[in-house]
Amino acid sequence: MGRETRAMQDDDATNPAVLWLLDGEALWSRKAGEAAKACADCHGDARSSMKGAAARYPGFYSAKEKIINLDQRVNLCRIERQQAPAFAYESRELLALSAYIGRQSRGMPIDIKADETTKPFLDAGRAAFNRRQGQLNLACSQCHDDNWGKSLAGNPIPQAHPTGYPIYRLEWQGLGSLQRRLRNCFIGVRAEPYAYGAPEFVNLEFYLMWRARGMKLETPAVRP
Amino acid sequence: MLRFFTLNILFFIACSVSAGDDAIPAPLTGARGDPGRGRALVANRQVGLCLLCHSGPFPEERFQGNLAPDLRNAALLTEGQVRQRIVDPGKANPGSMMPAYFRTEGLTRVAPAFKGKTVLTAEQIEDIVAYLVTLK
Amino acid sequence: MNGPGRKARVVVHLPQQARRGEIIEIRTLAGHDMETGFRRTQFGELIPRDIITRFACSYNGVEVFRAELHPAIAANPLITFSTVASESGTLEFRWSGDNGYAATHSAQISVV
Repeated sequence: MGRETRAMQDDDATNPAVLWLLDGEALWSRKAGEAAKACADCHGDARSSMKGAAARYPGFYSAKEKIINLDQRVNLCRIERQQAPAFAYESRELLALSAYIGRQSRGMPIDIKADETTKPFLDAGRAAFNRRQGQLNLACSQCHDDNWGKSLAGNPIPQAHPTGYPIYRLEWQGLGSLQRRLRNCFIGVRAEPYAYGAPEFVNLEFYLMWRARGMKLETPAVRP
Repeated sequence: MLRFFTLNILFFIACSVSAGDDAIPAPLTGARGDPGRGRALVANRQVGLCLLCHSGPFPEERFQGNLAPDLRNAALLTEGQVRQRIVDPGKANPGSMMPAYFRTEGLTRVAPAFKGKTVLTAEQIEDIVAYLVTLK
Repeated sequence: MNGPGRKARVVVHLPQQARRGEIIEIRTLAGHDMETGFRRTQFGELIPRDIITRFACSYNGVEVFRAELHPAIAANPLITFSTVASESGTLEFRWSGDNGYAATHSAQISVV
């Protein structure tokens, strides 16, 4: 990421994702669903209750014995607590809420722990990262582990640390999730992307966040 | 002509020393390709894709890659070795990350639009081989 | 969507206080789901353009900055400009665009 992009990200007056944060803040305290409950009714002020939460996602959801990401955690609350329909993946509302929750952990180190329970999911994510796929037969690791810093068609290859999702990507001119970004790479190597929310994608997200553990969260980041 | 023979002799030596997967001596189509068309294919970022990872003598093309050796390194290879390194580079160099441009088996999760299709046709590969050997 | 259902989001940053004669920087961001007017549907039909076309700022009723925006502007335009803090009062910001897009914002400044 260039210096100008970082400056744009770190200043609330220029980071366009602030427009989504305002929506997220409004949604946080808006009552929804048959339960007529707002996030704030259970969680209180997000600025204190959500501090550090996004740094621990994706995480293990014991009721379903699988890993879920922050978007899915929000939607579980929608369905179970608010008795409201889930937000669609990549919808303005879901991105806004995830960005707003993520914002409360900005500057905090990513805190994903691997233990006996989560190891199979982590291993599945790592295997996906190292698997050559698509017509162009490329693995994530071949670019992002073996060749980071080099130039792919003039663009520097990053190390694939997802420290700032959802991100405002200048190429998108909007906010998008890590899974949207993963889809871009899948399509680039001519592989069939998984559906939004598919366990394969969530495990890959989990592995990537574990791989970035200790790095500071930048949500909502600005990326080229 | 003399040079051609010399190269062929070198090639046979190379073949007898290596495992035999290092080169594909004969054109895939039975005929040599067109270097002019080959150059255009190499530069095309939607078809040849070469410049995404490689650089080469294309002063008019901005934003070339440096993940992989400069295409001028083809000068170190025989025509047959160049052909193998496009058709299925992993056969010549098992550690290569380069996609196989003329192989459909042994791939994972290929997008439906590309299933069963090679990246390039035999004719396109011959055009590119014909261009790359001019870089000697 | 930019329809009447959703209030347009804008963010404006400027100093709340300034000395008389000081040059102040004003930064504005407006949220807008752009459609460039150059894209086509999968059936080849042109998708109509939907962009912000005009931005203006007035300071106690006097226009101090205006911009006309055209295709190739960012979807959520960030417009930064400066003016001279002449007197205490109100700055009014107004964005307008295709399909009746309109957003306004006002901010106070005290000049000492």
